[in-house]
Amino acid sequence: MKKVLIVDDDVDIRKVVSKLIEKSGYQAMEAKNGVEGMGKVREDKPDLIILDMLMPKESGIRMYHELKTEESLKDIPVIVLSAIPKKSFLRSQKVLDEFAGQSVPEPEAYIEKPEEPEELIALMKKILG
Amino acid sequence: MTNKAKILIVDDNVDTVELLTKRFHAEGYDTSEAYDGEQALQQVVEYQPDIILLDIMMPKIDGYEVSKRLKSYDNTKHIPIIMLSAKARVPDKIKGLDLGADDYIVKPFDYRELSQRVKYWVTVKVEVEERLTKIRQLEKELIQSERLAAVGQTVASLAHYVKNILFGLKGGVYLVDEAFKENDTDSLKDGWDLVESNMGRISGLVLDLLEYSRERKPEYEKCFPNEIADDVCKLTQESAKEYSIEIIKDFDPSMGEAVMDPKGIHRCLLNLVSNAIDACIYDSNEEKKWVVRVKTILEDDGMVRFEVSDNGCGMDEETKKKLFTGFFTTKEGRGTGLGLLNTQKIAQEHGGTITVNSQLGQGSTFTIRMPYRDVATSGATGKED
Repeated sequence: MKKVLIVDDDVDIRKVVSKLIEKSGYQAMEAKNGVEGMGKVREDKPDLIILDMLMPKESGIRMYHELKTEESLKDIPVIVLSAIPKKSFLRSQKVLDEFAGQSVPEPEAYIEKPEEPEELIALMKKILG
Repeated sequence: MTNKAKILIVDDNVDTVELLTKRFHAEGYDTSEAYDGEQALQQVVEYQPDIILLDIMMPKIDGYEVSKRLKSYDNTKHIPIIMLSAKARVPDKIKGLDLGADDYIVKPFDYRELSQRVKYWVTVKVEVEERLTKIRQLEKELIQSERLAAVGQTVASLAHYVKNILFGLKGGVYLVDEAFKENDTDSLKDGWDLVESNMGRISGLVLDLLEYSRERKPEYEKCFPNEIADDVCKLTQESAKEYSIEIIKDFDPSMGEAVMDPKGIHRCLLNLVSNAIDACIYDSNEEKKWVVRVKTILEDDGMVRFEVSDNGCGMDEETKKKLFTGFFTTKEGRGTGLGLLNTQKIAQEHGGTITVNSQLGQGSTFTIRMPYRDVATSGATGKED
């Protein structure tokens, strides 16, 4: 069974998304910040990551960059699920790129909360097949 | 900036150092010197140079090692290093550049050439620093615009919070819908729980917002501060007991009847004690025996001190910095992030202060100090505008 990791500090959002993941026929994994998220990714490589941006400890902004610059992890697709507008996210990524001197690709999909749950399910199915 | 740039000259040869110092002073630079690798590393921390001229062959730690170390630390890696050495062979140069030197000049060198290179690298450093500042600024802007500003300053933070609640509600409703379609009662319960939980969050948000936005003058009346504290302990006893948390009362017996704002004090203490209980609940160290202590102290200088301490999860530096910022919460979406802000507001309206002391993993103490007005000295009615 394919595994999907949801990284979000909000316990309700984790619950909702986990249910949506399970309903779509995948196995759900949860993490509440970037540090925990990276740990789960390394320990039990998921097939897809759904990632919030603003979290205490390590933010999704950092975690995304870490994922996409690590050779063995960079091919895991990521759906960003955040209340931050996509524009702001891309701007921060550009700055990080410039700083790190390497360019990181855009996420597979960007969902701005509160999007309809159907949309997230459709996206997961499209990416994971 | 360019002509006041700071150069750190590192060479075990005193004559070289003296000569370079004189020359660069004449050009308007500021300089400092080090005569071995160890001194060099120390000087980088103390002097914070804009550029380093580094000899390779030195006692204790050599130039290669100094360069390697400086380039491995985040706060020193952007300082340009020019290696000065009599080692003229190509492999030596490559080794120096490999270990992080930005430039390499072979001794004996032409001073004018060195001066040109210093000028160039100082300019580069200024540019890198400007870019760094810009990046930090952007990060700050992003965080502030999306979450951290208080109500009234920006609606964006409020919108961010509500967007999260809405997504939770939509998810709950979706699960309920699906449950009806598939006749699945388990899923129905999950969905409904989510709807209820998120409705609760909206109610909490509205109450906290109203409290925060309302201009409220303290309503002074006669009261016993110890009794208020006692009432708060009674109210929270039940939920504390559920998680095996003991509430200890430690009231100052010399505290008598005072003219204060009992409702305001009650609200503050209730907030702090509930927070303390949450801190114990969120503590992952199951071996602890959790205690919340509520202390009242009548101070010599006419102030009342209320202390609420817990031995729960405590806070890291980042959390402490954001404590009194609106919409910041560590309660995984369960708190509005306005409770402490309200407590601070009430304390300040009283001419009081609130302070915090916290150690990650060991617990926190919140202290409120407010002026104490003795009944005897503040008039018979005890009422004031």
